[in-house]
Amino acid sequence: MTPPYGLWWAQIRAVIRLEMKKTFFARRGLWVYLLALAPVLLFMGRAIDLMRVRETRLALATAHPVSAETLQSIDTGMTIDEVIGKLGEPDSRRTFGRRRRGPVVMMSYTDGQDDYTFTFIDDELRDINRRDHPSLQQDSLIYATVFQFFYLRLAIFFGCVGIFMNLFRGELVDKSLHFYLLAPIRREVLVVGKYLAGLIATVVIFTTSTALQLWMLLLPYDASAYLAGAGWHHIAAYLGVTALACLGYGSVFLAAGLLVRNPIIPAATVLLWESLVMFLPAALKKISVIFYLQSLCPVVAPPDRDMNPLLALLVSNAKAPPAAWAITGLVVLTLVILALAGMRARRLEINYGTD
Amino acid sequence: MAVYKRTYKGYSGGLTPAWSRFLILPRYSFARLFQSKFLLLFFLACYIYPLGCLGYIYLAHNLSFLKAFNVSPNLLKIDGTFFLTFCSFQGAMGYLMTAFVGPSLVSPDLTNNALPLYFCRPFSRAEYVIGRMSVLVYVLSLITWVPGLILFAIQWSLAGWTWAKDNWWIAGGLLVGSAIWIVLLSLIAMAMSAWVKWKVAAGTLIIGIFIAGAGFGAAINSVMRTRYGSLINLSEVIATVWAKLFRVNPTTGIDLFDAWMSLAAACVICLWLLTRKVRAFEVVK
Amino acid sequence: MTAPPPIEQSLVVLDDISRFYGEVLGVNRVTLTIPSGITSLVGPNGSGKTTLMNIITGLVRPTRGSVRILGVTPSEPERLFRLVGYSTQFDSFPKGLTGFQFIYSFLRLFGYDHAECEKLAWKSIERVNLVEAAKRKVAAYSKGMRQRIKLAQALAHDPRVLVLDEPLNGLDPLVRAETIALFRELALEGRHVIVSSHILHEVDMISDQVILLSNGYVVAEGKIQGVRDEIVDHPMEVLIRCNRPAELASKVFHEESVVEARLHADGGGLLIKTRDANRFYRLLNHIALNGIEIESVAPMDDNVNSVYEYLIGGEEPGR
Repeated sequence: MTPPYGLWWAQIRAVIRLEMKKTFFARRGLWVYLLALAPVLLFMGRAIDLMRVRETRLALATAHPVSAETLQSIDTGMTIDEVIGKLGEPDSRRTFGRRRRGPVVMMSYTDGQDDYTFTFIDDELRDINRRDHPSLQQDSLIYATVFQFFYLRLAIFFGCVGIFMNLFRGELVDKSLHFYLLAPIRREVLVVGKYLAGLIATVVIFTTSTALQLWMLLLPYDASAYLAGAGWHHIAAYLGVTALACLGYGSVFLAAGLLVRNPIIPAATVLLWESLVMFLPAALKKISVIFYLQSLCPVVAPPDRDMNPLLALLVSNAKAPPAAWAITGLVVLTLVILALAGMRARRLEINYGTD
Repeated sequence: MAVYKRTYKGYSGGLTPAWSRFLILPRYSFARLFQSKFLLLFFLACYIYPLGCLGYIYLAHNLSFLKAFNVSPNLLKIDGTFFLTFCSFQGAMGYLMTAFVGPSLVSPDLTNNALPLYFCRPFSRAEYVIGRMSVLVYVLSLITWVPGLILFAIQWSLAGWTWAKDNWWIAGGLLVGSAIWIVLLSLIAMAMSAWVKWKVAAGTLIIGIFIAGAGFGAAINSVMRTRYGSLINLSEVIATVWAKLFRVNPTTGIDLFDAWMSLAAACVICLWLLTRKVRAFEVVK
Repeated sequence: MTAPPPIEQSLVVLDDISRFYGEVLGVNRVTLTIPSGITSLVGPNGSGKTTLMNIITGLVRPTRGSVRILGVTPSEPERLFRLVGYSTQFDSFPKGLTGFQFIYSFLRLFGYDHAECEKLAWKSIERVNLVEAAKRKVAAYSKGMRQRIKLAQALAHDPRVLVLDEPLNGLDPLVRAETIALFRELALEGRHVIVSSHILHEVDMISDQVILLSNGYVVAEGKIQGVRDEIVDHPMEVLIRCNRPAELASKVFHEESVVEARLHADGGGLLIKTRDANRFYRLLNHIALNGIEIESVAPMDDNVNSVYEYLIGGEEPGR
């Protein structure tokens, strides 16, 4: 007898429709939106700040032009008068009084691109701080760091925990799962339907966030050259990695919600494991979602400069797998986990009193 | 009803003091808490580090040991740094303890509609919150300032009155530093437990606030090229306050005033969340 | 898998069902055959009624034994739940749905299209008189309304077997009467309506057969009168209304099967306890021919309440 694919597909759509109300349009899902929105706001703030600073610098440079060569010719040890003699009056000047010592004077100049701040103590130039004009390349590295170390590991991770664990375990806590189990739907089809509902929700929320973040990142710059080159490939890669993260983490946490009563333990275990991935040997790295996701990211995040030197010694690098392997591996992992979840769902009983 | 049939009389006996009635709530919580073997083991494990510190203090005053290993007495110093490290380690254990204990404070009452049962009696919301918090305060105290003060007392007894006179501020630092951390953790745990009805979700949120806060704070610092992002990293914020209390130079880069403001803001937000959620009724629109 | 015999395809069959929750007994060695009509599960709290219903509907698997509902086992939910509708005792619903959405959304799981689901949903809502409240959120419903919407959801797909766990809970008297009428209507259509209830006089009124449960065991099953007849430990109690009860008492005392006779408190009748009701009724015919005017003869304990009292009431602590 051929399986009733038409019926299963109709049932999956019905489950997705039911779940959409609870994931997309429920107040209890608000925090997932906030998690996704936070980095967008961060990059938006950055974009606004960059554009504002650039305008201010240009205005100052127009009103008081100073060349970069002149600024670079200033050296420590010079007096305030010598510096003013070469560069003219500063764009801004601040004086701080200190007990038992002479005042500290800070003077700022700009050449329209970079900011220079000269710090004088007792009328002697002690420190030159140059704040570079940010470049798209620098910001791409910053974005890569934020994406791989915050967005993937924390925002998407916790978002998937919240959405996918609610699919079964949350229904058991709400005492509403029995309505599904009393419908003429195969348990495996139910698992697939709920998984797809969670996947659609997380992919839409987090890829939209990724797209907005990238837009905010590119907004202060003339990105036409970047987009003509590797730009669109990078954007597609980031969106793809976001979707794959939802795919991989989603299956893990859906299964966790079915298999264990307290899914916080597997969530904490996965979080800890993923955090330690950089220190694990190559063979163990392969048993993690983040290893494959990071290998698919278009820009390699620079190492953490603030990391403890002892810890830095323990970092082990492994050869990134080819993209096709990484994607296949994640998809296969997802399918295996979903199959296990389906088997568990088949044996599921309703016993709300113990939850 | 005929007057002669009205035989009901209200209770006219003595009443327990009003201020102590909130203690009804933790009474059963403690019994339930330590029924969990895992929690009991974790609680006992929280004393491993203090015992290690005790050994360290003993060795620092054991001249024959120092001579035998050619260790300079100045190497094993018991000072502000020593107690700051103690406070930090036990603070971390307290954070984990909160993640285990905190979710069961308010969530079950919300899930089982027990709040109306409390508030239809002469029992205020403040008493309810204090009663539930007292569970965490008690447990966290046992693993933070209590062993810390014991270590201070032992060090005092071994080092003498001069040392105590010069380092009395360490005891103050232990008390105040632990109190701030306990209040913060307790309020966060209560607020998260009240905000979500599911204990597991509350536990995830309690953990997530610190981890996601640290991550997002680092992201803000990286993107905006500032240090203000660290203000949402509560671990760094409290580390700044502790460093000041124990007179150690902080490495977090956060201004002390900003750190206090951040802690105050976190507490206010938690209190606001509690005010919204701890009610005798729920409005469904 | 061999097909069940034709007769079983019209029955709900439980064969040697046991269910343990660890060391706690849910139900033990329950063998039942439930025909169409209204069957009531009666028993004190914790007797296993809900466990039995959960086993019938596959929400819980038995530790031992087998279940077949109209020839279908609970391991085939795709087939089973087209035949079965279950209104559980749980007073919780998926969040954020209106009454209509609740029924409509779960009908879509049957694979029906939008128009069909709408039609079935409204039909079912009309049956339970919730049309005006259908567009409001279920979370804002009163207890009685929530009970009715659950019933509507169980009925919506027109099942042949209805399993209803305390369906009259929280309903006002008028709605209660309407709901009972609905059950009768469904039973007359040849459906199996399995109801659990504590309200014994209603069970008496509506049930075609009863199943009495106590401590996880089936204590008695069948039609009420049949069950009563088999309880020989407790003589039947009969009230005879007549013009000369004292004289009637003197005449029946000689009868061997009569164990007790006492005047009714109002003086207009005689309460008899007899071990053989049929023989006693034949005796009454003779007595009536001898001048005593008998107005009515009514069994006093031929009901679920009394059966419950005799079979289960004595097992409860403190009695």
